Amino acid sequence: MSIAPKAENPSLQSQRARVASDLRRVVATDSVLDEEESLRPYECDGLSAYRRLPLVVVLPDTVDQVQQVVRYCHDNDIPIVARGAGTGLSGGALPIEDGVVLSLAKFNKVISVDKDNRTAVVQPGVRNLAISETVSHLGLYYAPDPSSQIACTIGGNVAENAGGLHCLKYGLTVHNVLEIKIVTIEGDLVTIGSNALDSPGYDLLALMTGSEGLLGIIVEVTVKLLTKPDCAKVIMASFDDIEKAGNAVANIITAGIIPGGLEMMDNAAIRVTEDFVHAGYDVEAAAILLCELDGTPEEVDDEIERVKLVLEQSGYTQMQVAKDDNQRQLFWSGRKSAFPAVGRISPDYYCMDGTIPRKTLGSVMSKVDELSRQYDLRVVNVFHAGDGNLHPLILYDGNVEGELERTEELGGAILDLCIEVGGTITGEHGVGMEKIDHMCIQFDTLELSQFHAVKQAFDTKRLLNPDKAVPTLHRCAEFGAMHVHKGQLKFPDIERF
Amino acid sequence: MSADSAQELIDAVKRALDSNTNLCITGGNTKSFYGRDPVGEPLLTTIHHGIVNYEPSELVITARSGTLLADIELTLAEQKQMLAFEPPSFGKQATLGGAVACGLSGPRRPYVGAVRDFVLGVRMINGRGEDLKFGGQVMKNVAGYDVSRLMVGALGTLGVLLDISLKVLPTPMMECTLVFEVGHTQALELQNTWAAKPLPISATCHVGELLHVRLSGSEKGIIAARKQLGGEQVQGADEFWCNLKEHRHDFFKQAETLWRISVPPATPALNVSGPCLVEWNGGLRWLKSDIPAQSIRTTIDMVGGHATMFRGGDSENVFHPLQQTVLTLHKNLKTAFDPAGIFNPGRMYEGV
Amino acid sequence: MQTHLADFIRNTIEGREADAILRKCVHCGFCTATCPTYQLLGDELDGPRGRIYLMKQVLEGVTPTSTTQLHLDRCLSCRNCETTCPSGVQYGRLLDIGRVIVEQQVERTEVEKLKRKLLRLVIPYRNRFGPLLKIGQFFRPFLPKPLKQATPAARAAGVWPQADKHDRRMLVLNGCVQPAIAPDINSATARVLDQLGIGLTTANDGCCGALSYHLSAHDEALGFVRQNIDAWWPYIEQGVEAIVITASGCGVMVKDYGYLLRHDTDYAKKAATVSDLTKDISEVLYTEDLTKLKTKSNKKVAFQAPCSLQHGLKLSGKVEDILARLGFSLTTVPDTHLCCGSAGTYSILNPVISNQLKKRKLEALCSEQPDIIATANIGCLTHLESEATVPVVHWINLIAAMSHEK
Repeated sequence: MSIAPKAENPSLQSQRARVASDLRRVVATDSVLDEEESLRPYECDGLSAYRRLPLVVVLPDTVDQVQQVVRYCHDNDIPIVARGAGTGLSGGALPIEDGVVLSLAKFNKVISVDKDNRTAVVQPGVRNLAISETVSHLGLYYAPDPSSQIACTIGGNVAENAGGLHCLKYGLTVHNVLEIKIVTIEGDLVTIGSNALDSPGYDLLALMTGSEGLLGIIVEVTVKLLTKPDCAKVIMASFDDIEKAGNAVANIITAGIIPGGLEMMDNAAIRVTEDFVHAGYDVEAAAILLCELDGTPEEVDDEIERVKLVLEQSGYTQMQVAKDDNQRQLFWSGRKSAFPAVGRISPDYYCMDGTIPRKTLGSVMSKVDELSRQYDLRVVNVFHAGDGNLHPLILYDGNVEGELERTEELGGAILDLCIEVGGTITGEHGVGMEKIDHMCIQFDTLELSQFHAVKQAFDTKRLLNPDKAVPTLHRCAEFGAMHVHKGQLKFPDIERF
Repeated sequence: MSADSAQELIDAVKRALDSNTNLCITGGNTKSFYGRDPVGEPLLTTIHHGIVNYEPSELVITARSGTLLADIELTLAEQKQMLAFEPPSFGKQATLGGAVACGLSGPRRPYVGAVRDFVLGVRMINGRGEDLKFGGQVMKNVAGYDVSRLMVGALGTLGVLLDISLKVLPTPMMECTLVFEVGHTQALELQNTWAAKPLPISATCHVGELLHVRLSGSEKGIIAARKQLGGEQVQGADEFWCNLKEHRHDFFKQAETLWRISVPPATPALNVSGPCLVEWNGGLRWLKSDIPAQSIRTTIDMVGGHATMFRGGDSENVFHPLQQTVLTLHKNLKTAFDPAGIFNPGRMYEGV
Repeated sequence: MQTHLADFIRNTIEGREADAILRKCVHCGFCTATCPTYQLLGDELDGPRGRIYLMKQVLEGVTPTSTTQLHLDRCLSCRNCETTCPSGVQYGRLLDIGRVIVEQQVERTEVEKLKRKLLRLVIPYRNRFGPLLKIGQFFRPFLPKPLKQATPAARAAGVWPQADKHDRRMLVLNGCVQPAIAPDINSATARVLDQLGIGLTTANDGCCGALSYHLSAHDEALGFVRQNIDAWWPYIEQGVEAIVITASGCGVMVKDYGYLLRHDTDYAKKAATVSDLTKDISEVLYTEDLTKLKTKSNKKVAFQAPCSLQHGLKLSGKVEDILARLGFSLTTVPDTHLCCGSAGTYSILNPVISNQLKKRKLEALCSEQPDIIATANIGCLTHLESEATVPVVHWINLIAAMSHEK
């Protein structure tokens, strides 16, 4: 299922003119985009295979303007898609044809930093990495570090519950945000959470985090900052077999060690990223494991020795401890740029995000390999190995007829596989538009209805990012009819959780 | 346990729906004092107990809501793992379901996270008597709204928890407790100074003139931290922390209303009279005071915190009042999960 | 990224190149993070990814309007995005192609046309720009503030040592505006190289061609390129070791000569030779034994890395290394990757954005109270100098002055 641009109907054009002129009463003239030429670049986010021209794009720069825009849309039944940096990989910011794209990119100021309580109040358009840069001189940092952290914004991070390379130890966005301010679909400004460690009533903060823009528009975020560890060291180990690397991960954790980061790349990923960062990765290895340990120097030294021992017992072929902080950063930079670096070897890629119980890693990997051959598409694998989050990248060429469709089928098969082994279709990228059909497999009708009831509690008119994240039952019925013939259990030999 | 205890609970909910009966979801009945007054027919979750799945290498345990907290803790301890949020049980009969529904966390909370941070997935019955699963058994999962975490601390007002999957952590290799003789203000300052440093602190408590600090980690790490901190080492401190968590410490023994006050940790001494016990680097303050609720809450509002009447006092206004729009969202959510309003009605707020 | 180039361009040299570049882009958006104009304006259309999309539309056959042109004009061509891009998208090349097509398809206003024409008629020619600047400098004390800021104060030319006493010889580009505004840069270079045993000479060259090229006058630019090659060729035949460039902006252009003339049968080979010989002055010093120059300086220097140096020539850290080796104490400058807003003629054509960037850059440069700001490009130098509270010099002048003090 992909969405390609198509000719617009004339009534949409007159509606566009009307909405644009109305919105220009709220924000500056050039902060409303309504020419097709200017709207095109907003037709997709980081998932460029899915494109849709929005009705208009509006770029407010005050919360008051956001409230006015939202009220206007509410009064006039116009859908709203909020957008940050547009780096999402699931099409969460894919526009709606008769809807407004509300860009929060102009909200890029750090409002305040509370050194004593170790928190920062930031606008939603502040880049993830910019937070850590701003507070670095205080010896603090913001822990969640999705690979796109250089560009992705905190508002989007909250909306997607973004993870990163260090979440096994330091948690996801939901664990690192204290308070948010949202604009509800009625245009009310509401504070959720608090600067204390908990707040009264339901945990609306947890509910809002990862709600993919369906429940409210985030206009301010208070994040928790952590004290930078005194010391961080990273071990890089090569393995001649992916399964061995997978077992090494389980062995480290069973030994009672929770590394700051535990990442794996397969040979294809190693080669592509090495080409960009020249990190000194072992390009001959079947897989490499990056294991970061942080804390006080004494703890780190202790743990490094323990991890070395575990890796040895797990049968590594090469092992190297980064000699200084520069080399440590270099080791990580390859991993962080792995997705886009694939652009060097393939015109397009499709990124999956399933999470599986760690113990199934080896068997899932060999199945993915089998599927890759079956669909005749290359797959590059990077994983957040510590928490079982897979990121298979399917390489394809959008200019070759039928290749995107085949890619989507392969992607679907990988998602099915994740569900079958007791995992989930998305660990951190969100469902968005991309994985919406697979929600029908992961959840049954009653559960989806409960999700719709939650949506109803916040947005009765269903105007906020409608038809994303949670499929309608009708959609599932159609999808089910298509999907059933593929069989109930495709990989009966895989150990099930 | 009967063959299908979950089905029994589902049937009970359906019967209550048909007969328009309110249900008071009850586990070990150890925390019935918490929240507004319980009403309705008891629905006993203790029939639904047992560990469903536990794999130490996955750091995940799944158990039925009626499982005794003590049983879970024992099972984990055998594998040198733990529920890192250290939930208080307030009695031997405490169940996992109750711990999650109350959402209370113990001394380790500021350093590792709260109950909600460890909940990965739930199976639950909603107010329509439907058997639903949210989240899962994996560390990362953003498919659908995070209903599992919404259940944490909801006091059973949104549904009956059936099975709960939790992330667990390895028990620290070593722990050591230090004590310092300091006053209230100085204790707050010290905790804040330490919190800004990368030290392996895993609990703090100041009461009377004594500040207790627990360190957790590797032997070398703890030795290094001890050098940095000074203080006297306390022997057999596990009992101290356990008593603190379970409110068996002397501080908790008397007549006044016990307030649980949650504030930004660096908040200076509160401008309210009454004995105060400080935990969580200053983020949690237990206050014994009979001054009017309104007056305490006005003070706490000013520092950006909230105050709960934990034990005693006026059972109508247990929880800090909500902003009107937020209360509306609560009522809407209550309707979304429990349209007939049969689960623990009014246990949290009136109408919720 | 999926592409469907229009018939008018598909099978041309530019079309094929543009298609290859577009197909490398995976639309990840990392580039927006380090784009100076996106940071200021927060509009997708004012970041590299949005501009790529705008150009893609044009290449796919959509007729652009002044909107596309405006957003392409707003690009500083700093190429920060290229440094950030993990996919290796050559944004700068795509922009050069895109701008020309848009220029052909969108009519500019008469005023805009005149501005661009005047810039192209005056700046690249020493015999036109020089006298005009002298007049300006003469009246400088009486000029209103904006004009005064735009008119750099006159500088003494400095002594140029004899070149022929050394066996090693290098050639230096005179260029267009630099000899008029800061004749002391090349003479300082000559003195420093003299100490290292290298004789520096000049030929009768002119503008490197970058100005016309970035104003989409490619043929005019290539005219300058061929003239320079002709002027340098006899020296190259005599065996000069390198063509030294002391303005990193020009350096990027000259290093591209080989590429730009790759299809010119008469010049392709010569141009390639020129590009191979071309070195930024920092590249020359980096590999020399600097102990001959070594001396103490107590000056606190803030170094501004021009975009052409770090993103164009990819020579990050070289100048800092040289200065540190020579004993200067360098301040830590935040956001070194960001453009100062000078960007060739950008400061004249987009003064508002340019000034905002200048203010930010000066704040960053002065955050640790330096005694002096050093740069590596004449454009950045005059741009920053206009509002800086401390002197702004080319870094080679710091070294020359130090040796002089000795």
